[in-house]
Amino acid sequence: MALFRFKDRKTEELAAHINDHAKKMDEKELFSFAPYDPNAGERGGYSGYSYWRSTLRAFRKNAVAMFFLLVIVATLLFTFVEPLLPYEKEPNTIYYSEQVQLDLFTRQPKLDENGNPIVKVDLSRDIKPGKEYWFGTNAIGQDLWSQIWEGTRNSLFIGFAVACVDALLGILVGVLWGYVRKLDFFFTELYNVFDNVPQTLIVVIISYILRPGMGTMIFAMCLTSWLATARFVRNQVVIIRDRDYNLASRCLGTPPWRIMVKNLLPYLVSIITMRMALAIPAAISNEVFITYIGLGVPLETPTLGTLVEAGRKVMSSASLRYQLFFPVVVLAVITISFYVVGNAFADAADPKNHVN
Amino acid sequence: MEEKPILSAKDLELKFTLRGKVMTALRGISLDVYKGESLAIVGESGSGKSVFTKTFMGLTDANGAITGGELWYKDTDLTALKTEAQWRKIRGKEIAMVMQDPMTSLNPLKTVGWQIQEAVELHQGLKGAAAHAAAVEALKDVGIDDAERRYHQYPHEFSGGMRQRVVIAIAIACKPQVLICDEPTTALDVTIQAQILGLIKDLQKKYKLTTIYITHDLGVVANVADRIAVMYAGDIVEIGKCEEVFYDPKHPYTWALLSSLPQLGVKGEPLYAIEGTPPNLFVEVHGDAFAPRNPKALNIDFVERPPFFEVSPTHKARTWLLDPRAPKVEAPERIRHLKEQGVSLRVQ
Amino acid sequence: MAKYIGKRLLRSLLTLLIIITIVFSLLRLMPIEGYFENFEKLSTAQINVGLRQLGLKDPLPVQMINFWKGVFKGDWGVSHKYRVGAPVLDIIAEKVPVSMKMGLAALGIALLLGLPLGILMARSTRTRFKIGDKLGTVFVVIIEGIPAAIYHLLIQFYGSKLPGFDMFFHADRPLTWILPIFSLALGNIAYYAMWLRRYMVDENNKDYVRLARAKGVSGGRIFSSHVFRNAIVPLAQFIPTSVILTLMGSLYVESLYSIPGMGGLLVQAIQRQDNTLVQALVLIYAAISILGLLVGDIFMALLDPRIALGKKEGDR
Repeated sequence: MALFRFKDRKTEELAAHINDHAKKMDEKELFSFAPYDPNAGERGGYSGYSYWRSTLRAFRKNAVAMFFLLVIVATLLFTFVEPLLPYEKEPNTIYYSEQVQLDLFTRQPKLDENGNPIVKVDLSRDIKPGKEYWFGTNAIGQDLWSQIWEGTRNSLFIGFAVACVDALLGILVGVLWGYVRKLDFFFTELYNVFDNVPQTLIVVIISYILRPGMGTMIFAMCLTSWLATARFVRNQVVIIRDRDYNLASRCLGTPPWRIMVKNLLPYLVSIITMRMALAIPAAISNEVFITYIGLGVPLETPTLGTLVEAGRKVMSSASLRYQLFFPVVVLAVITISFYVVGNAFADAADPKNHVN
Repeated sequence: MEEKPILSAKDLELKFTLRGKVMTALRGISLDVYKGESLAIVGESGSGKSVFTKTFMGLTDANGAITGGELWYKDTDLTALKTEAQWRKIRGKEIAMVMQDPMTSLNPLKTVGWQIQEAVELHQGLKGAAAHAAAVEALKDVGIDDAERRYHQYPHEFSGGMRQRVVIAIAIACKPQVLICDEPTTALDVTIQAQILGLIKDLQKKYKLTTIYITHDLGVVANVADRIAVMYAGDIVEIGKCEEVFYDPKHPYTWALLSSLPQLGVKGEPLYAIEGTPPNLFVEVHGDAFAPRNPKALNIDFVERPPFFEVSPTHKARTWLLDPRAPKVEAPERIRHLKEQGVSLRVQ
Repeated sequence: MAKYIGKRLLRSLLTLLIIITIVFSLLRLMPIEGYFENFEKLSTAQINVGLRQLGLKDPLPVQMINFWKGVFKGDWGVSHKYRVGAPVLDIIAEKVPVSMKMGLAALGIALLLGLPLGILMARSTRTRFKIGDKLGTVFVVIIEGIPAAIYHLLIQFYGSKLPGFDMFFHADRPLTWILPIFSLALGNIAYYAMWLRRYMVDENNKDYVRLARAKGVSGGRIFSSHVFRNAIVPLAQFIPTSVILTLMGSLYVESLYSIPGMGGLLVQAIQRQDNTLVQALVLIYAAISILGLLVGDIFMALLDPRIALGKKEGDR
């Protein structure tokens, strides 16, 4: 067994050298001078801290977040794969089939003179979940399963679009705001004014003024949300510009790009990731609300919002409740996943949590 | 010194778990502190001096734990104290602390008086007007004028030096036996430093306190301490009376530390600096922790940890150089004649 | 202190002016059918006459000045769809009391339940298994993660099955008030709990808490008179946000339960495209949000002696 277990490579060489001799060494040799390697002392090495490695490590340790990340990845993959699967139905196709005619009021099958139910070719409306229609059909005979996935695609698209615009504009303006001192006053005032207005109200006004649609919704949600991102970025830039340790770093000749890469980049990446993750539940939430007050996207574009709203309308009838239940479950799983992952990432990206 | 120590650590070992790795912050450290004395613990940052004194009060961070050795305050086994309630009999009441940064160690939303009075009520058993009077008295004690008015002010209305006086007043108001001053002047202007040190010295005399200073500044030590303990990589390498350590240092690390004093610099020559960095405490240290940075290290320094060799009854050092079998190595030239040169380390 | 509040008040007024100007200009783009009772039947000429009568053909600055004059005279225009010819202020005035009662009750309940929950969670972080913290976090995540529209819906649906409760609001049956108020409060309960917990944990790591421990103050006392007291200050910042949260929640909740309040009114005005009513309500909502922010800042100033001196600690 080796007498020493040094971890550094260079010290290992030294240790090996001594190890070889240690057994043979007598007292005299033990008390003679050891070879001095002036570099040996430099190999403190400490814990080898790396921001990204620690962030990933902190995130991976969070089992709940990892689970929800898996859910997100699976959902994302599935929304893309789903239309390609064989036997998948068109989300907007209205299906017809032979239907037992129901009495409008009693909802009992209508009978002909022989006492048999009357069967006619009709819309496949309100069919309960089963083999043919996994999640059933809605009030006009569309397949709920494919509608839900189409809706998820559209809702996620809105969310991602908002998050991207938010991040791009936010970073661009934020960096300008931080570096160009003349702009500071203007943007600060702009922020102070618009920070006061609730986003929901802005989305309502914009949706009311413009024609409802995906574009309108994305535009309305992006209109002011980037200000908050810009503000975050601006504060970070100011810190980089003015904090003593960065000043010291500059005095020691660290090139500005290195300070940026080491200090700003990790921050920006975590901000973007976090805001992306949190913008999606927020966008979906806004969308559900806007749809409820009648300013949502047109019906031919299913979204989670329109599906929930359609389900809400029939929720008092117990037999049709599945039309609310399925979209709500999918929506809740998606929003919670993004929310949890976004927050967990924000925590993991905070160096304060890199201890332990 | 035949008397019983007031505070005593024997082979104390403390480990932290950090990012899944274990770090040994204290490597079997031993120290006796005697009543009424003034001891300074000197070392680089990261040598474990703050961690060491925090164990006296049970204030070690949650990810650290004592894994071996003994720690006694008078007749109380501190390693046996588990609950907060048990520790509260020690904290403040027996051992009080002055922390490094007066800007952050006061509650910004409470008046200065309120914070002193909190300590008074806890430890002097006074209430109401009597407690108020005692708090004002404590303010006067630390040399704050117009104490009655100052009592009602908030920390942000005080300068850094004044805040440190308040922190000291809080410590004194606890009526402790031992006062730990953790870098009490590091965050202050040089002009204020001497005042604060003088104040602590006066209070030590007045209240017969045992004081433990933690510092990396040898100038501070020379001003206030009776004895010095030099710490390196979680262990004390040399301990002795002030003059002994300054004028007759034995451990190569102490030599290096003294050599790096700016007062010893010769004009026109670069200042002496110790080569290398302190060891990585995540890696197990073998033998003498300073050996890799010591040009005159012996083979045995890499193999076995040196024991304490007694230089005099009050002066001990952990270095194989004191072993009779070791070759004779002289202290570096520049620090060998400090006494003869009459170099004074005191700052005034 | 008075100087600080005065300054802050002036700022809020300025912000309000700017916001109203912007919103007013934006709303000029509203679909014009919203100004007429029976748009479909009117000829282009009639529409133009109507618009001119309403002053909507004037240049924007003139419209603005007229609008401001109207605002100060208490004339905010008349409804064109919701209740034809009725001054919008009268319509809104009827709706304010219910909304106010509901909103204040919801805020009160949120504080009453949210703060203790936050304290519980913060204290639990210092125990071994952190059970309270974990359960509380699950609650916060569910409420914050799921869109409010969804849980409002579920509460209405399942809650109304309890005896005495109902799907709809009845002013004379207090039990039917409970569900909407609780729905409104839920978001804020989670919000307060989450932030109080975070701030308390932050404060707990500060040096002055260490000093307090070093002087022998008991854990309970450190929590109550140092940590909690100091954590409440930044929390005051969230009062405006929670006012806004309640306001926006009321849009949905009031219309869901058919509560005759301002939120439900806005939804109806939008659905029926009553431009003047939408305009008035949007401006009122913006004003309340700004007021909320002002109140939050004044709270902060009262709680934190440093603020009146103009030393605001860092940015949010």
